[in-house]
Amino acid sequence: MADDKRVDELGKAVKEALDKGEADRVVGLKVDSDGSVRPYLWVKGDDVSALVISPKYPLSTVYRLVHEKHPDMKLGIVARGCDERALVELSKRGNIKLDEIVLIGIACNSDEAQECVCHVPYPTKISAGDKVEGVDTDELLEKIKGMSLEERGEFWSYYFGKCMKCYGCRNSCPLCTCKDCKLEQELFVTPGELPPEYPMFHLLRAFHTVGRCIGCGECEAACPMGIPLTKLYKLLRDDVKEMFGYEAGMDPEAEIPLLTDLTVNPIESGEGGA
Amino acid sequence: MNDENFEPRILVFCCNWCSYAGADLAGVSRLQMPSNFRIVRVMCSGRVEPEFVMRALRNGFDGVLILACHIGDCHYIAGNHRTAKRIPLLRKLLDHVGIDSKRVMLDYVSAAEGEKFKTVISGFIDDVRQIGPIRTGLKWGA
Amino acid sequence: MEAIPEYNCVLTTCPYCGCGCQYYLQVLDGELIGVTPCKTHPISQGKLCIKGWNSWQYVVDQGRLTKPLIKKDGKFVEASWDEALDLVAKKLKELKEKYGPDALGYLSSAKTTNEENYVMMKFARAVMGTNNVDHCARLCHASTVAGLAATFGSGAMTNSIPEIEYANVILITGSNTIEQHPLMGKRILAAKEKGAKIILVDPRAIQLSNFADMHLRQRPGTDVAWINGMMNVIIGEGLYDKEFVENFTEGFEELKKLVAEYTPEKVEKISGIPKEQLVEAARLYASGDASSIVYSMGITQHTTGTDNVKSCANLAMVTGNMGKPSTGVNPLRGQNNVQGACDLGALPVVYSGYQKVIDEAARKKFEEAWNTPNLPPENGITVVEMMNAAADGKIKGIYIMGENPMLSNPDINHVRKGLENLEFLVVQDIFLTETAELADVVLPGATYAEKDGTFTATDRQVQRVRKAIEPIGESRADWEIITDLANRMGRGDIFPYKSAKDIMDEINRVTPSYAGITYDRLDKLGRLPWPCPAEDHPGTVYLHKDGKFTRGKGLFFAVPFLEPAELPDDDYPLIMTTGRVMFHFHTGTMTRKSRELNREVPTGFVEINPADAEARKISDKDMVKVSTRRGEIEIPAMVTERVPEGIIFIPFHFKECAANVLTNPALDPVAKIPEFKVCAAQVKA
Ligand code: SF4
Ligand code: SF4
Ligand code: SF4
Repeated sequence: MADDKRVDELGKAVKEALDKGEADRVVGLKVDSDGSVRPYLWVKGDDVSALVISPKYPLSTVYRLVHEKHPDMKLGIVARGCDERALVELSKRGNIKLDEIVLIGIACNSDEAQECVCHVPYPTKISAGDKVEGVDTDELLEKIKGMSLEERGEFWSYYFGKCMKCYGCRNSCPLCTCKDCKLEQELFVTPGELPPEYPMFHLLRAFHTVGRCIGCGECEAACPMGIPLTKLYKLLRDDVKEMFGYEAGMDPEAEIPLLTDLTVNPIESGEGGA
Repeated sequence: MNDENFEPRILVFCCNWCSYAGADLAGVSRLQMPSNFRIVRVMCSGRVEPEFVMRALRNGFDGVLILACHIGDCHYIAGNHRTAKRIPLLRKLLDHVGIDSKRVMLDYVSAAEGEKFKTVISGFIDDVRQIGPIRTGLKWGA
Repeated sequence: MEAIPEYNCVLTTCPYCGCGCQYYLQVLDGELIGVTPCKTHPISQGKLCIKGWNSWQYVVDQGRLTKPLIKKDGKFVEASWDEALDLVAKKLKELKEKYGPDALGYLSSAKTTNEENYVMMKFARAVMGTNNVDHCARLCHASTVAGLAATFGSGAMTNSIPEIEYANVILITGSNTIEQHPLMGKRILAAKEKGAKIILVDPRAIQLSNFADMHLRQRPGTDVAWINGMMNVIIGEGLYDKEFVENFTEGFEELKKLVAEYTPEKVEKISGIPKEQLVEAARLYASGDASSIVYSMGITQHTTGTDNVKSCANLAMVTGNMGKPSTGVNPLRGQNNVQGACDLGALPVVYSGYQKVIDEAARKKFEEAWNTPNLPPENGITVVEMMNAAADGKIKGIYIMGENPMLSNPDINHVRKGLENLEFLVVQDIFLTETAELADVVLPGATYAEKDGTFTATDRQVQRVRKAIEPIGESRADWEIITDLANRMGRGDIFPYKSAKDIMDEINRVTPSYAGITYDRLDKLGRLPWPCPAEDHPGTVYLHKDGKFTRGKGLFFAVPFLEPAELPDDDYPLIMTTGRVMFHFHTGTMTRKSRELNREVPTGFVEINPADAEARKISDKDMVKVSTRRGEIEIPAMVTERVPEGIIFIPFHFKECAANVLTNPALDPVAKIPEFKVCAAQVKA
């Protein structure tokens, strides 16, 4: 099976990085006897036969947490395309340093790329798996785009009305690292309401994904209510790309558009700003 | 639900250095203007976080106008550059979730442009009147 | 090589509601740093509610008890474990000798593990010689246990959580599912998206109302009436499942005769539900191939709680919605391990596995297993009775493990009187609760994150709790404390436990329904639903398969409607009902330690309809006085349409405005559950 091969390759790469001392620890996934899969810090001497690659977890977050506590540790990470892009955005915000990461890249297969509707289903460096084409067609997204203003309003009202305010979308997001979250500020979102104050909670979070969201899908995966959050964020990602030429996670050198002035990311400053 | 007699409630953010002075000039010059708007003076249009605009709409304002200095004239050099990027993006977001983006508008008014202030505000209020009252609560939108 | 960093994700079970989400506790260098959902877990599926996400902060809260405390001259003084446990052992012995074993009572806990509940009830029975052991299930689902045991033969949720997603009709009553069982609520909405119809019967408008196809708003306490009314329509219109009724049930004729009286017109008069709505809801419920009833404390916490539960059972059986996937009668148990605490015998009438103490054979079996002759043959007394007996001086000493009756019981002022009247009170807990403050000795227990064990979810699934960090301070796992105490009292022979697993091994031996639920299997399978009678048995996902009820035939009870114990009158013209909010849990001892949760809802409130508010000149957020015949509290008002006119609602989590100062301790005659859901109240500006 193709997947076995990928896991084998990855296991070898992780073992090698640890054995050769390129990395002291490698952030990855491990399966337990009951079949449950968890983030794990691989260390030299571990039996990598328990290493797995799915379901995917926000591993860049684990990287960040361990790195914050042990900044001098040579830390590796098993990274898919989205994990690497998350790391790129984290580095821009000073959370980590890109050149310190021992990146053990894994290319997603076409099923995975399809499931995530992922544009770039591979990292820049691949140790396991083979590159497949990115996916561009997204049925639901096209449907939403085709809706009238009224219909879009209905659509999102229904979904946001289901929200149970678990904050799972924020908690799972590799780029939601703010110490003081605006979702928790009374001025912006009235506390204690269910569904959370509409539309403040969701618009606010959506706006805050601008320039960060790398489309990993962890928010939606964590949403108990099946709210298609990534679709909304994707629409904004497309806007940002169109307006500022910025694609989060892609170019480590590109500056975050909302933080720069117009000389770096010029836009049309016409009537209504539209 | 375009009610003939509908008079929209409008919130205007004006920066202290240019557009607030422009509004002031319009007032002092006794230009004929509609009166159904409230001005919030901010030190810089860059202070107008998108959350403020959302909050205003949520609280029942039918339209929010953000007035900044012209690009290049910002008292803080590039504060309005941020505004110029954020507000268009916010308008996109509103549009994605089914809220008419014409309810939020960014424009540039200098201290000398009393006449422009009048034109912009009158035009904006007309536009919002056309759209009709905002719906708040769970079925928020349009 | 240096030992750090140590990063560990420890799979464990949520300590809040009974959904039984498992997730990982994240530990970095021995320190608990957060929660990560488990994407492979069948209930959680990588998702959690806000309580689950924040279920770790209270573990590391500064306020944790870290040392045993002994009260000397009215003040707590820190003590060593030896000193504290020797004192407890001595006092318990003394009281037993002086007043007899039944002058002592023991409260076990739905928050602690199965192993700990087993050890507690064994301690009460084998060491102390009394059946006076109970826990707060009495206050939430005692009527479920009684009602469903009588009708079906097994007092538990009949089907499993994932099945609900495939029901065609879901009747939800007395359950604010999205807030109280969020991961179950999620499945209800998923079912709706698959085409299921949702009937909600609840006096309040809740988040679920926005998604229900029908929302019937009954007057609180009239559940028997509207359920009888639905059956009146279903039987009258020939919509019932004749085959099922004939083959698998008994008592139908009496039921038929009784419900004939409950015409929709009559029910409208009693319950306030418009008759057209009732008829439509009845037809809708009867129309499903797989109709499922979901209920919670809105059904159970009444003086007619057992009747209400029996009525739900009647309705399911009449329509043949039993013994099949995605059907059944599904009580949602509030606490993470309230199911397990009942299963393991922390009840005054049964040993583990619901083996009756009055049954000679069962008693013999346990006498042998525990090497203890003469186990007490009479049923013990329940929580509320225990508090009354304490006030009357009949109970002299109480040992409480992980419960807070000073907030959770009805009529707190009376509870205080009882507890203050005791000669000796031991409280074993993780925080100095309102109850612990009254104790003579306080023993610091460990939280779920600091020990091993198992919890049993609302759908009977047994799952592991795993130790993630060392116990904070000198705190110890509850089972260790009781084992130590039993040893000090000379019963080390039957309390030889070195680990939670040792206890489970014994549970396997003496509890038929748990016989096959071993740690080894749990570590392989993740979870097992009882009944699981043998090591090669896969467990039982849904009960009463093919109409084969645990008790043989399903038994119909013809249940007439009775009014609640207290009705509004001129002095107290409003109906007060109580409940919970999403962001807090039970008496708030855990959730209120979490900044994230406390920020959402920092204190209590009374929901009052705008009309009632206006009549009293009350505006939103005003401080108001709510009073009943039991007492009075001051509390901020929340003026809202969520409650209909004439009804007020107060969540009971908050000690500064404790709803249970007001509630009526009147008991259901069978299950002894108090009527938390209805009493007469007045609100004044
Ligand atoms: S897809 Fe969701 S979780 Fe991932 S970066 Fe974007 S907002 Fe965050
Ligand atoms: S994860 Fe979903 S339910 Fe939870 S807060 Fe986010 S949108 Fe709401
Ligand atoms: S739904 Fe229940 S079990 Fe799941 S995380 Fe929330 S409180 Fe815990």
